[in-house]
Amino acid sequence: MPLNSNSISKPISLGQLLADRDDLWRGRQRRPAPARSTGHAALDAKLPTGGWPRGKLTELVPERAGSGELDLLLPCLAECTREGRSVVLAAPPLVPCPQRLHRAGVDLARVLVVRAPDHALWAAEQCLKSGLCGAVVVWPQRNQVNERAVRRLQLAAENGEAPLFVCYPPGCPAPPSLAALRLAVHAGGELEVLRSAQGRANGPIRLAPDNVVTLAARRHALERRA
Amino acid sequence: MSGTLRKAALWTGVVCPRLALEAAGRMRAPDENADDRPRAAHDTVGGQIRLVAVDEAAARLGVRTGQALTDALAIAPRLDSQPRDRRAEAAWLEDLALVAYGFSHQVALTGDGVVLEVGGSRRLHGPLDTLLDALDEALAPLGVTTRLGVAPVAAAAGLMARAGSRAETLDALEKTLAAWPIEHLELAPAERRKLDGLGVRQVRDLVRLPRFELDRRLGQGVGRYLDQLRGRLETPLVYWQPPETFARTVDLPVPVRRTDALIFALNRVLDGLEHWLRVRDQRLTRLHVTLVPEDQGPKIAFSAGLGQPGFQRDRLLEILKLKLEPIRIQSDIETLRVEADSVSGQRPPQADLWSGTNINDAWPALLDRLEARIGEDGLCGVAPKSDHRPEKAWAWTKPGTTAVADDAPERPAWLLPDPRPCRLDDLRLIDGPERIETGWWDGQDCRRDYWVAHDASGHRLWVFREYKPRDGWFVHGVFG
Repeated sequence: MPLNSNSISKPISLGQLLADRDDLWRGRQRRPAPARSTGHAALDAKLPTGGWPRGKLTELVPERAGSGELDLLLPCLAECTREGRSVVLAAPPLVPCPQRLHRAGVDLARVLVVRAPDHALWAAEQCLKSGLCGAVVVWPQRNQVNERAVRRLQLAAENGEAPLFVCYPPGCPAPPSLAALRLAVHAGGELEVLRSAQGRANGPIRLAPDNVVTLAARRHALERRA
Repeated sequence: MSGTLRKAALWTGVVCPRLALEAAGRMRAPDENADDRPRAAHDTVGGQIRLVAVDEAAARLGVRTGQALTDALAIAPRLDSQPRDRRAEAAWLEDLALVAYGFSHQVALTGDGVVLEVGGSRRLHGPLDTLLDALDEALAPLGVTTRLGVAPVAAAAGLMARAGSRAETLDALEKTLAAWPIEHLELAPAERRKLDGLGVRQVRDLVRLPRFELDRRLGQGVGRYLDQLRGRLETPLVYWQPPETFARTVDLPVPVRRTDALIFALNRVLDGLEHWLRVRDQRLTRLHVTLVPEDQGPKIAFSAGLGQPGFQRDRLLEILKLKLEPIRIQSDIETLRVEADSVSGQRPPQADLWSGTNINDAWPALLDRLEARIGEDGLCGVAPKSDHRPEKAWAWTKPGTTAVADDAPERPAWLLPDPRPCRLDDLRLIDGPERIETGWWDGQDCRRDYWVAHDASGHRLWVFREYKPRDGWFVHGVFG
């Protein structure tokens, strides 16, 4: 174990030393998996995983296509591109609006969109295996949702650090999987933790809609411009 | 060439004793060569099909080179004899020369191998044994059986290799030669018969013959050849130069359409390409492959490139595989043609200090791989365009395009590729309107009021009422 600078100046307890090792089995005590901040402080606090679990699968079950999953992920994607890593959007159902991405702080040069739905899962798997991407988001087609496909993606994700998000088509029952986290996304930005490797959260999580559009304020200026 | 011999000259001969045999089966996939049948290669000699090479298993059964194929098959019915493939042999010798060229600038082709001058390379490669080991190692990937020999003169180097012996000085060479039977020398059959009639069995007998007598009976050729062997005359050599461009044509032994067999053959071609790139100091930009079917049908052509010039063999093979997989090959392929585009210059390899993988190099590699399978239009970035009309304010771009969005008003996360008509009765308008009136200069003028609306299930939509050119309500985006 390397000694860091403050270990020389002040003694550390044995418990702390042991806690720093991740090769110890601690019976029923689970160490929280490394997580990446979701960018919403409220959500980080509420999620049993403390953020988006890295190198793990997070399943999102939106109530309807575009019911908030992209806005939910944008802060995390922006953070990835700021770190200089690319983010992959595989087969998004609609066009991700570049102005919206830019406003959220995403570096558009680091966004890779896979527009071939047939190859989306394969492409996502390749990106995960490469270990080069900051985050991978997949919107599988209805006929692609099966346990084997999701399992393959999950194994590929475990090779690296990138969180993997699979957004199921609305109304499509999610297959049994060992996802670290499964969230339902309801209309109006309400989230519900359906399952989690770290136990369940209690009750739905309401996110403050931080993307309320303030058109009225800008209306006059635009009318003058037009 | 100067008349005096340089003292430091030292030649290494490389011969392929089984070249004809191995070349005949070279392009076959390994599983076809895996059975234990005795093998041979045959060719048409003087109107008759005769064997030109046999392997040990066939020799044990009594099959000899020079036998008619029908006789050989009568002796050994399981004999697997392939027609001699001179083109493959020439290609293999070319590959051999390319490898040798990495060790010496003086390389010459012999009929069944190459000779190269290594006296001048000793300063670079260290002692002779080290150099021979390095040469052996470089030759190993070619997959052809080679034997090395060393002699101080070029003419003898090939012979020494065939005999598998070494002589680093003229005296040692003289001793070795003296004990050889006459058959080791490259003499015409007529000359050999005459010498046999003279009672000359070994090279020492030949050396003892008075030169005047030898010239009178056999012409001057044999005497001169003997002088070259013994280092008393300079051997005239045509030095080999690597070709300016890389192009290879390969005839497949059996026409195939299986992807794995084609990839195997392509992999063989990449052997040569790799050496060619190295000695020519080139970097590959694109590889053009043409498949010629046996029934003169349409040729299949495709090309594979790497995002950055260079040569990463496994990546290139993977891309070739991905390119080949979707191609429907209608009829069996009999010939492969491979041409390479390259640029000169070496880029120093930049390895990541910590992980050993180079992210600058790995990302283009990943894009190459994805693009090979998905196609260029399936892989893109998204960029804003400065246009007030929201449906024209975005575009798919090449991945990695840097784009700066101007400060547009708040937009929804999802846009519909094309606005879709909807009914106002299903919506509850919450916020708006944002008036957009534009496009009058290019004849696509429109006037719209954009609103944020809730639909029945509580989703927020981006809708607009259009007055010009159409009239009605449309959904254009989804917040979320």
